[in-house]
Amino acid sequence: MGQILLISLKTDTNNDLSITIKGGRNMSSSSIVLHHFLFLLLIVCHLTSVSSWKKDEFRNCNQTPFCKRARSRKPQHCKLIATDVRIEDGELTAKLMNPQENLDENSLIISLSVYQNGILRMKIDEDPVQNPPKKRFQVPDVVLPEFQSKKLWLQRYTKDGDSFSVYLFDGYEAVVKSDSFEVFVREQSSGKRVLSFNSHGLFDFEQLRVKKEGDEWEERFRSHTDSRPYGPQSISFDVSFYGADFVYGIPEHATSLALKPTNGPGIEESEPYRLFNLDVFEYLHESPFGLYGSIPLMLSHGKSHGTSGFFWLNAAEMQIDVLGSGWDAESSILLPDQKRIDTLWMSEAGIVDAFFFIGPKPKDVVKQYASVTGTSAMPQLFATGYHQCRWNYRDEEDVKNVDSKFDEHDIPYDVLWLDIEHTDGKRYFTWDKALFPNPEEMQKDLASRGRRMVTIVDPHIKRDDNYHIHKEASKNGYYVKDATGKDFDGWCWPGSSSYIDMVNPEIRSWWADKFSYTEYVGSTPSLYIWNDMNEPSVFNGPEVTMPRDALHYGNVEHRELHNAYGYYFHMATSEGLVKREGGKDRPFVLSRAFFPGTQRYGTVWTGDNIAEWEHLRVSVPMILTLGLTGITFSGADVGGFFGNPETELLVRWYQVAAYLPFFRGHAHHDTKRREPWLFGEHNTELIRDAIRVRYTFLPYFYTLFREANMTGVPVARPLWMEFPYDEATFNNDEAFMVGNALLVQGVYTRGAKDVTVYLPRDHTWYDLKTGTAYKGGHAQKMEVTDADIPVFQRSGTIIPRKDRFRRSTLQMENDPYTLVIAVDSSGAAEGEVYIDDGKSYEFKQGAYIHRRFIFSDGKLTSVNLAAASSTSSFVSDCTIERIILLGYSSKTKSVRIEPSNHATDVELGPLQIRSGVRSSALTIRKPNVRISDDWTIRLL
Amino acid sequence: MLVFRSAVVLSENILGVAPEDEAYYKGLFTSGTIKCKDGSKTFTKAQLNDDFCDCSDGTDEPGTSACPAGKFYCRNTGHNPVSIFSSRVNDGICDCCDGSDENDGKIKCKNTCWEAGKVARDRLRKKITTFRDGVKIRKHEVEQAKLSAAKDEEELSRLKNEENILKGLVQQLKERKEQIEKAEEKERVQKEKEEKQKKEAEEAKLKEQKGEEKVNVEEQKGEEKVNVVEQEAVGSKSDDEAGAHDHSPSGQDLNKAPADVEVGVAHNDEDGDKDASLDNIEEEHAEENEEPSKVAQEYNPDESSNAAHEYDHSHVPESKEEDGSEDANSLSREELGREIGSRWTGKKNEEQNEDAGTARHNYDDDDDDDNYDDDDTSDNAHDEEYSGYDTETEEDRQKYEDDDHMNGVGDDDSSDSHKYESDGESDMSDMESTSNPSWLEKIQQTVRKFLEAVNPFQTPVDTSESENVRKEYDDASGKLSKMQTRISSLTKKLGHDFGPEMEFYSLYGQCLEIKENKYVYKVCPFKEATQMEGHSTTRLGQWDKFDESYKVMLFTNGDKCWNGPHRSLTVRLRCGSKVELADIDEPSRCEYSALLTTPALCQEGRLKELEDKLESTIYDTSLLQS
Repeated sequence: MGQILLISLKTDTNNDLSITIKGGRNMSSSSIVLHHFLFLLLIVCHLTSVSSWKKDEFRNCNQTPFCKRARSRKPQHCKLIATDVRIEDGELTAKLMNPQENLDENSLIISLSVYQNGILRMKIDEDPVQNPPKKRFQVPDVVLPEFQSKKLWLQRYTKDGDSFSVYLFDGYEAVVKSDSFEVFVREQSSGKRVLSFNSHGLFDFEQLRVKKEGDEWEERFRSHTDSRPYGPQSISFDVSFYGADFVYGIPEHATSLALKPTNGPGIEESEPYRLFNLDVFEYLHESPFGLYGSIPLMLSHGKSHGTSGFFWLNAAEMQIDVLGSGWDAESSILLPDQKRIDTLWMSEAGIVDAFFFIGPKPKDVVKQYASVTGTSAMPQLFATGYHQCRWNYRDEEDVKNVDSKFDEHDIPYDVLWLDIEHTDGKRYFTWDKALFPNPEEMQKDLASRGRRMVTIVDPHIKRDDNYHIHKEASKNGYYVKDATGKDFDGWCWPGSSSYIDMVNPEIRSWWADKFSYTEYVGSTPSLYIWNDMNEPSVFNGPEVTMPRDALHYGNVEHRELHNAYGYYFHMATSEGLVKREGGKDRPFVLSRAFFPGTQRYGTVWTGDNIAEWEHLRVSVPMILTLGLTGITFSGADVGGFFGNPETELLVRWYQVAAYLPFFRGHAHHDTKRREPWLFGEHNTELIRDAIRVRYTFLPYFYTLFREANMTGVPVARPLWMEFPYDEATFNNDEAFMVGNALLVQGVYTRGAKDVTVYLPRDHTWYDLKTGTAYKGGHAQKMEVTDADIPVFQRSGTIIPRKDRFRRSTLQMENDPYTLVIAVDSSGAAEGEVYIDDGKSYEFKQGAYIHRRFIFSDGKLTSVNLAAASSTSSFVSDCTIERIILLGYSSKTKSVRIEPSNHATDVELGPLQIRSGVRSSALTIRKPNVRISDDWTIRLL
Repeated sequence: MLVFRSAVVLSENILGVAPEDEAYYKGLFTSGTIKCKDGSKTFTKAQLNDDFCDCSDGTDEPGTSACPAGKFYCRNTGHNPVSIFSSRVNDGICDCCDGSDENDGKIKCKNTCWEAGKVARDRLRKKITTFRDGVKIRKHEVEQAKLSAAKDEEELSRLKNEENILKGLVQQLKERKEQIEKAEEKERVQKEKEEKQKKEAEEAKLKEQKGEEKVNVEEQKGEEKVNVVEQEAVGSKSDDEAGAHDHSPSGQDLNKAPADVEVGVAHNDEDGDKDASLDNIEEEHAEENEEPSKVAQEYNPDESSNAAHEYDHSHVPESKEEDGSEDANSLSREELGREIGSRWTGKKNEEQNEDAGTARHNYDDDDDDDNYDDDDTSDNAHDEEYSGYDTETEEDRQKYEDDDHMNGVGDDDSSDSHKYESDGESDMSDMESTSNPSWLEKIQQTVRKFLEAVNPFQTPVDTSESENVRKEYDDASGKLSKMQTRISSLTKKLGHDFGPEMEFYSLYGQCLEIKENKYVYKVCPFKEATQMEGHSTTRLGQWDKFDESYKVMLFTNGDKCWNGPHRSLTVRLRCGSKVELADIDEPSRCEYSALLTTPALCQEGRLKELEDKLESTIYDTSLLQS
């Protein structure tokens, strides 16, 4: 007895999908047909979705009522005036009310406070005296506690007509205009504006109301309903950046570095830049659509003012329009005759908690922002090396093989990663016993060669009563609740899952304890963590995330803190790694979602990108933008997560990514294996070279990470950050600076034989490989081969390198340094090196070496930059084996070294020791001075 | 001996230099300066191993880590000497068993060469033993292969001869049969005239069936042998066949329902005892498609969904996508979650396809199994779908185990060798008896007899005589088709490349199995490789070729992966005294690899190399000990 079902799919001429099912003999019931039909339907539905990003699954502005409303408002919509202006608690406060109509609107309270180094903070909230139905959410745990101590206590204001001004910074003042209400920052002497708020009167603040008969507050999107129990509560306003040629920032979008206008005359219908953390399947480049993380910080830069910044601390969904010039042509508003860029900011909930950063230099703004949200954590040295990841390295044998292949091909790497499949059924903190029977031994084996392992831990917890995490979390009520108060139940990798409510400090502490070696069975001190899916990703939720009416600790709605959820998860995990070693070991946690402050807890990457040239191209502005907005330790999946990169693309990707802060190869499990040695000997060599270049520059990178840790200035910088007066750099996002010394130009096209490189003016640039000097100031076409991408050292800089290759960073510890000096037109150069133990917090007690190298008048001096009084010290026996001089013409044959008073030879040597590459530069052979000592080397 | 000793003295001075390079460095001690090997520079004795890289090729720093391109030679007395990357020198990790790579005093490496060497030598000895056995077996097999191949070739040429004779006979019989039928037809036409009205109705019915080739094939299997034979003789053109039906003396069997027929075909595929005519027909199908279950394959949901996939990629209109999402809207929360999640994994879809496959097999299988009644099928689908996100749930595990029991696949024998089940091998014995010349003579006689005895022009036709002719024709053409099957399978076999010495000949017709977790992998060299899970079979690839000078077997163009390539399998071959499959793996999705040990790889030359190697290490070691 047999039976056959004939199912066929075909396309009609009108493109209707027709499904034919033929039943055979003995069809016992029609249910078989039905089941198969459903099957088929699922397959069909599925297939239509695999191709790529599905626009209609995500809300656009028109489907988002608050955004639609805000966008439709016309200038001068705001009727508020500021009254009752006074100084209170060192702040300037006022009431905002509508004088014209006696509406049932309550007044709002505005307060301005001023902080050191040119920061103005402005808060606008409902007046607590008037008993609003609910306290609006203010994001805690983002602003540094010590920021408060930088507050300048305002004593008085100056009144001029209806304007009240207070001191802001040397030469700058903040002004509140009463009618019509406006806040701005201006230069005191010239009166030139820097930043302004509500100059166009687009400010709108929907106050919380008690629901009345007939109020329809529910919102529906696709199959989801948002109960919106508190009704509309959105906020929107306009911000103007004066003297701006371009605006930047507000990650995360896969777009250009300089933000393109999204609304205004001549601009086709476009979406605002959206800030709403989402798990987007196969995201598109060149889209304002919001990705995995959100930082509502915008920077402007222009020739006339320089740089300024505006930051809105708010964790609800945000939409931001960059308005094209002329957008307000029909309004009668008169604004100072200065070049400016206007922007419209819209958020679904929360309060106005905004920071104005006056700059005026690019690095000033990032420092000002860092003083509010913190600088990036000092990474462990190993984390700055190369990371090898794949979904998935399947078992212990696979791990062993991949690890040994790196050695076999003499390619350094530091970390091997395990994705979700290593767990027992996606129960994090567990291991698949069949695939990973001996996780500790595996980690110890890797560690014996200085290598670490990273495993994934996601915030969705499998609802399985036998899973200890679920048991404890549900018993203790540690899960996020749905709108009805039950544990929220959503779908993710393990199937039915609940999500830990990391907003609660008690729960974070509980979570952190899960990383202790006794709790996380099979973990060892060389194991670090990866937090994925923390937007949070909920497969069956609205827009693949959590419903907005879900409830968090303190009765906070998810809509109010959505963008910060992943941040709290990252924070808790990071604290767990600190805890497990008693605060002695710096954590390493990679997160996909991020928020202001993330830089204090770890690293981020740009999520699930695609193996396409355009994605390589866009990864550079994405990473630069993250650096501008505080998160310097970031990177993109090398090779592209989805799809198979052609070999040339993969090689180019390695070559660019080697210069970006976080350097990890990663791939989807449907892709072909792409470890560096799988593409033939020649390509193996190219990739090895790319990775090795990264390792030679690690002393430089580590020094830059320390700079970022101290100041907030990112490791990878847009050109305009280093050359703020060179207009040609302002919207260049194909090239970037590593620190102030290296300029890197990516190659982003197939089969490129040459690329056009703009080298900033007033400097000479030395080709990294050949030492060839180029004068800056114009774009020049340069030949490229597949061997590398154009990289240059700027004149006037000194870069520390370690030119010996090892298996991993650990074995490089005692290797000697090479200094590369590129002198400027006056024959001078400067550079730094920072060294510590690479792993602990002892550097905070002064256990580090920080030297400045100064070269001038034919003399190189090493000067100590470390703080004089320290309780701890770090010693290194490392020496300098080679000093290379670029752009220094001298016939000298030897040098004399003080204080040891010995001489050594000067000869011509290679710039990089590579077989087959001929280059010749003045080389000081074996000076063998110690890196930690004071010394002087004099060219004779 | 003298040379050897002086080399030792020199190498003590030059850390990390291999004995064959010692002569090169001698120049340093005589002239004080030599050139880097790549000619880029010269260096002095003082620059040798001074921890500063002068030669970009590393010539001046054989014993330090200063040059990235350098190699460090460890003598490893007691074990095998090795050259390691300069990056390993003084990196805190003992790489050489003699510890010579760590010489800066920072760490102390134990000399483990003696122990390691012993282990290596033991391993080498074992390998040599295996090789010795393998070489013997291989020799035997190569001889056998030559004999078998010769035998096969002889058989083939004999069969071809006989085929010619038989063809002639069949033709004669056919002509005679047609004459008889003509006579019968005449008779019938007469009768028809008398019952014209009734006949017309039947005629119409007959026409309806026209074109349904399979219908006819199936029907005539038992009841209408003459018709089948006629088809064969006339050829495979469907027009001709249809013509044959028109002439069919009786339409009595053409009334069966078409649905029935389809099932019947599917059923046949599973049928063990096929009669000759059916075999013949199948063979014709097999020419286009190796799989006997061609009909079932055509309607494989897998392929339908592939079609849908293409469709999706080529020209899905916007509105269609929205339709799809509309459907998504009507899904339950859980289904929605699965669907969205499956985008990243791609698994759900595939599981479903596999499911569909499973379901298909289930129906084929039978309904005596409770697991597979309607409700369970859907449940099963559910679970499988679930396992797209989860490695394995409890229920799933249970199910797989059940599956094993049901199939009796539970034997966890790592490797097992089988002959192809239905590759005409069973026909062989049959054929041998058929090809007995006396049989052929007998047939020839019979035919002669018929030709003489039966008078086709006589009416009414002698029924018993005409029956005899038909039967004889059936037998003869049946035998002919079997013969042709055998000829084509022999031709195919002999067309393969069995290696330079035909050393892989014995692997023809063999299948090797290995069980790995829930899957059973089956590799049939020169045919195909499959992966079986319960009742569903996935083809990993069809035989492609040998690669890397007979060190690798390639199976390509297997079942297509969802969102991926066609599956393929690379089998590495290694010397072993037994033919065994091992280490099946999927390093990249849908790209499988396995290891096959076989005596075919045990070459005498390689054995000699191994023996020499062992001898030399033993010699070195004894030198060390003395």
